[in-house]
Amino acid sequence: MHPIYTFDKSMELIRRAMNVIPAGIYGHLGPAEGCHIPIDAYPKYCDHAKGSYFWDVDGNRFIDYMCAYGPNILGYNDPDVDEAAARQREKGDCTTAPSPVMIDFADLMVDTVKSADWAFFAKNGNDVTSLAVMTARAHTRRKKIVFFKGYYHGVSPWTQKIDYAGIMPEDVMHNIYVDWNDADALREVFENNRDQIAAVIAQPYMHGNFADNSLPAKQFWQTVRKLCDDNGTVLIVDDVRAGFRLDIGGSDHYFGFEADLICFCKAIANGYNVSALCGKDFLKTTVSGLSYTGSYWMSAVPFAAGIACIEKMKRIDSPRILIEKGEKLRAGLIETATKHGLDLHVSGVPSLFYLRLADDPSLMLHQKWIAECVRRGVYFTNHHNHFINAALSDEDIRETIEIADEAFVAIGK
Amino acid sequence: MKQTDARTMSFINLFAVLGALPSLCELSDEAREIIAGKTISLGIEVKGGPAGVLHFQDGKITVSEGCDKCDIKLPFKNPEKFNGMIDGTVTPIPSKGFTKIGFLLGPFIKLTDLLSKYLRPTKEDLENEQFYRTSTLLMFHVITGAVAQIGNEDKVGKASASYIVDGNVRMAITEGGKVLTAAHIAAQNHHLTTVHTDTDTPMSLMEFEGVHNARGLFDGVASSFTLICDGKLRMGGMISQLDNVNRILDRVGLYLA
Repeated sequence: MHPIYTFDKSMELIRRAMNVIPAGIYGHLGPAEGCHIPIDAYPKYCDHAKGSYFWDVDGNRFIDYMCAYGPNILGYNDPDVDEAAARQREKGDCTTAPSPVMIDFADLMVDTVKSADWAFFAKNGNDVTSLAVMTARAHTRRKKIVFFKGYYHGVSPWTQKIDYAGIMPEDVMHNIYVDWNDADALREVFENNRDQIAAVIAQPYMHGNFADNSLPAKQFWQTVRKLCDDNGTVLIVDDVRAGFRLDIGGSDHYFGFEADLICFCKAIANGYNVSALCGKDFLKTTVSGLSYTGSYWMSAVPFAAGIACIEKMKRIDSPRILIEKGEKLRAGLIETATKHGLDLHVSGVPSLFYLRLADDPSLMLHQKWIAECVRRGVYFTNHHNHFINAALSDEDIRETIEIADEAFVAIGK
Repeated sequence: MKQTDARTMSFINLFAVLGALPSLCELSDEAREIIAGKTISLGIEVKGGPAGVLHFQDGKITVSEGCDKCDIKLPFKNPEKFNGMIDGTVTPIPSKGFTKIGFLLGPFIKLTDLLSKYLRPTKEDLENEQFYRTSTLLMFHVITGAVAQIGNEDKVGKASASYIVDGNVRMAITEGGKVLTAAHIAAQNHHLTTVHTDTDTPMSLMEFEGVHNARGLFDGVASSFTLICDGKLRMGGMISQLDNVNRILDRVGLYLA
C-alpha cells in the first residue's frame, strides 16, 4: 500500500503567494484552472524534478503524467539536452546579434518537419499560433478564421470567446466555429463565406477538456486540405500540444496530409522555452514582412537545447516508444478499472491520452479517483489530456497501475 | 463586454428580482405577515419582454410564466417601462383588477419595499447579523435567478449558455456541512431554468462555505481563487458547466449593479 500524501507546505506557500501574485498560481498550473478537486489533494509547488518524476515542497514524489503540460518529453533534466544548453550558455544566450545556432536549429526543423520549408522562432505556443493567423491574413488579405469547437490555440484575444472577461466582440467577430469532424459543415462555411476565409486552424485531433478526445474521421483531414486548396485558404495546424508525440515529422504527417503552417512549442526543447512556426515556401515572403518579434525570441540557449532534444528524439524514435508506453499504461489501467467493475475510457493517441470514468457523467466519481491517485503519488489531472515522456519506465507504469488499483479501492469504500 | 440591454433586464426584474419574493417570504416573518391571508394573483405583461404571474396564497408566493390568468394585470408598453417600475420611476396602471388595487397599493408595495431593503441594504442594516444573513441568502436567489435569464436572453450570455452541457448546476451556501440554502440551474439544450431548491442529481456543483464568504464574492470584495484555496468555495463535477455559468455570473454583476 502506498502512503497518503499531505501538502501542508504547498498550502502554506500558496496562501503566501495570494498576497503578491494574482490567484496565487494563475493559469493552467493553478488550482482553479488546473481543477484541483478537492483542493487539498494536489501539490501546489515543485521542489525538484528528474526523469519521469517531480518532488513537491512537502517531499512527496510523483510519477508525472502531465510533464509540465507537455514540455517534458525526454525526461526532466535530460543530460544530453542540459549539456548542450550549458555549452551554449557559456558562449552566450541573449545577445545583440543572434547566434548561428539559430540557423542550425532552423535547418534541423526544416529537415525534420515534413511540411516545413522554413522556421520562425518565438517563445510560447500562443506567439506562433498568433503569427500563423497574422501570416494567413497578410497573405490572403482576408479576415475570417475557421475554428473547430473545443479548440485551444492560446490566450490572445482572437483565440478567446465573446463571453470571456476582457474580450470585445470586435476581437472575435471574424471567428467562425464548426464542429470537429463535420466536413459538410465546413464545406457549407466555405460556400457561405466565399473569398473571405483566411485560414482554417486546428489541432491535429480534438484534445479538448472534459470530454473523450476525438481522432479525425477517415478522410477528414484530406477533405479539409482540399477545401482550403480550392478556396485559397491557409491551413494552419496547431501542433503545440501534440507535436513530436505522434510523429517526429509533425502530426500532419502522422495523419497523412500537409499543413501550410504548423506551430510547435512544448516538447520542442524538453522544457527550454522556445516555440516555432514552420511553413511552406509560398508564405515565406509574407512572414518575412510582418512586424513581429520579442525580447528573448533569439536567445541561443533554447536553440541549442532544441537541437539536442530533436536529435535525441530522432535517435531513440521517441514517438514510437511514447506510443508504446502509453499503450501499455492504457491496457493496464483499463484492466484494473474493469476488475473494479468500472468503465474507464482512455481516448486519444496513447502518448497523449485522456482519461474518463464513464460510470458517472458528472465526472465527480472520476475526480475522486484522480484525487486518490494524486494523493498516492501518480500525478494525473481530471480534466486534461496527459503526456507520456521517454524516461517513464516499465516499473513506473507498474507502480502507476498499482496506485490506480488502490485508488479504485479507496473510492469504492 | 459592458453593454446590457433593457429586454434582458426586464426578464431579470420579473423572474429574478420579483422572482425572489417567494424566497423573501420563506426567510422573513415580516414578509409572511404582510401577505398573510391574502389569496390573489398579480400578472405582469411586458410587450416585447417577459410575462409572468405572482401567486399569493397562505403567506406563500409562487411565480409562473405567461400571463393568461390573473386577478390583477399590469401591462407595460415596453421593457423600459417595466424596468422603470422596478426602479420606482414609473407608476403602473392595471388593465384588469381595479377592485383589487388595494393589494397593489398596500401589501405589494410593502413587500417590494422590504425586498429592496434586503437587496440594497444600508451599511447599518448589515451590522445586524440576522439581517446580513437574510440579505445574503436572498441575494443568492436573485443571482441564481438572474443567471438563467441572462443565459437565455442576453447576447453574450447566450454565447456562454451555448457551451453549457445538459444537467443541473447545483449552487449552495453551506455552514459546517449544513446547507443553508440551495438552488440549481437546469440546463437543457442550452436553455437555462433556475429552480430555487436543492437537487440530488447535480452535473456540477459550487458550494460557498458561510454567508460571509458568499457575500464577499457577491459584493466583489472576495476573490474566488482565494476562497478556492482556503476550501471556502468548493467546486466539482462537470467543470465546463461551471466555467460557463461563471461567465454568466460576471454579467449578473453588470445587470444588477
